[in-house]
Amino acid sequence: MKKLIVMMLLSISLFAQVKEEMEVPYIAYEIKMGKGFDAVNANCLMCHSFGYIINQGPQSKLFWKKKIDKMIVHFKAPITKEDQKTVLDYLYKHYGNGELK
Amino acid sequence: MKRRDFFKTSIAASAALVGSSLSAGVTTQPITGRKISKVAFPEKRPMITYSDRPPLLETPRDIFTQSITPNDSFFVRWHLPDIPTYIDPDAYTIKIDGLVERELNISLKSLKHDFEQVEVTAVLQCGGNSRSAFHPIPGGIQWGSGAMGCAKWKGVRLSDILDRAGLKKDAQWIGFNGLEKAAYYETPNFVRELHLEELDDHVILAYEMNGEDLPYLNGYPLRLIIPGYYSDSWVKMMSHITVTNKYKSLFFMDEAYRVPDNATESETPQKHFKSTKPITKMNVKSVIGYPLEGAKIAYHSQLVVRGVAFDSGLGIKDVQISLDDGKTWESALLDNDAGRYAYKAFRFGFKPNKYGKLKIMAKAINRLGEEQPLAKDVLWNHGGYKYNGIDVVNVEVV
Ligand code: HEC
Repeated sequence: MKKLIVMMLLSISLFAQVKEEMEVPYIAYEIKMGKGFDAVNANCLMCHSFGYIINQGPQSKLFWKKKIDKMIVHFKAPITKEDQKTVLDYLYKHYGNGELK
Repeated sequence: MKRRDFFKTSIAASAALVGSSLSAGVTTQPITGRKISKVAFPEKRPMITYSDRPPLLETPRDIFTQSITPNDSFFVRWHLPDIPTYIDPDAYTIKIDGLVERELNISLKSLKHDFEQVEVTAVLQCGGNSRSAFHPIPGGIQWGSGAMGCAKWKGVRLSDILDRAGLKKDAQWIGFNGLEKAAYYETPNFVRELHLEELDDHVILAYEMNGEDLPYLNGYPLRLIIPGYYSDSWVKMMSHITVTNKYKSLFFMDEAYRVPDNATESETPQKHFKSTKPITKMNVKSVIGYPLEGAKIAYHSQLVVRGVAFDSGLGIKDVQISLDDGKTWESALLDNDAGRYAYKAFRFGFKPNKYGKLKIMAKAINRLGEEQPLAKDVLWNHGGYKYNGIDVVNVEVV
């Protein structure tokens, strides 16, 4: 009996800690609703959660403009000119600090 | 003073600071006491959660009383959202190719059996740890002080693997690639490149963390460990090593994780310094894990302040505590040595003998005599990297 237990312990340690598929939970981010949100939903959720936007806190219009540009230039986000403007207006209205730059 | 008011003043003070238009950047204490999420991620206990996709989890500050960060509290930082949710350890291999004599495909099993097994206890810290200290805020995750941890890593020397493959004469750069992928096919992947000269025998490919398999979110089943360096190149779920003779231009190398290439590594928000350099080695830093900001401490009770200190591996010589706004400093006790790359836990006991607000400051000093500056003297950079201000916790003696 004793022997059996020892063997079982040994074989367990050979297994990986995680054998099944991982399930990463979803978080419903409380992003503000308003004009232009549809464009944000369509363009800003493809590569990361809204957590990235919310965590920046209130920022200037220039800050948000530069962020959108960064997404397009460096990460190749496919966002139309028109949507860029809609998203910028939305971000500045809901996550702006009142300053242009 | 009521507890409420006590906090209000500190919030008002920092708001005034942030709201005004600044010509130079200003640095304060990083944000502390952020809410712990109700949701736990795989193999983790609930942590401060910035994002679910990709997962970004911060270690709560009270963990930093321990010289080893438990696996279930260890911070998590991925860049791209497409991370495999299943890995078969029996089928997993790592590929080594490029300028090598022999291309290799090494299985996990072979790594554990056919190579010398080595261990190193080392601090893993994101270059952007404590970014929330910088104003105006640099873009990027607004970490408090918990984008760091210290673990005992077990694995195989990178140099042993490269030796087995046999480097060709003109080999210079080693590229590391993990299984994390972008959601969009044109987004650059998170590939890191290191020059051969930067890679010494301390660099390992680890499969074990604190005696367990690497947690999934910390890079299961294999990650790179580069003791003394910020964690931007500690590639997770490592699957591919390529040896080249030419540096490739990559976004995550050329744009991210860099500081101004000048003596003070700083710039103004209006005018960023043109040339930049990689963040590489960690500067000297300490974080207080107990007590926490705003705690109430009983008058004349024996209070033991605890925390951790580290640097790039030169070694921590002293951690000093000040209770009088930095006028005088006294040495704390340091724990046993887990090696030069590990946290040094410190503790400092005393009896608070005055009612009211008490400011506790901690400053680490390394063997070279380098010490932490006051937060306000940590100069601003637009990436918000390398914050290492003297740590401050305000409590109330009641
Ligand atoms: C094609 C992919 C992609 C799209 C689409 C995208 N982003 Fe990003 N974004 C990224 C990547 C990659 C990062 C960096 C991730 C990391 O390192 O954790 C990032 C980071 C960020 C950050 C953090 C700050 C920083 O500078 O790293 C913010 C804020 C952000 N994105 C906002 C947006 C907004 C707003 C949109 C919609 C207009 C958007 N993103 C769309 C890929 C994308």
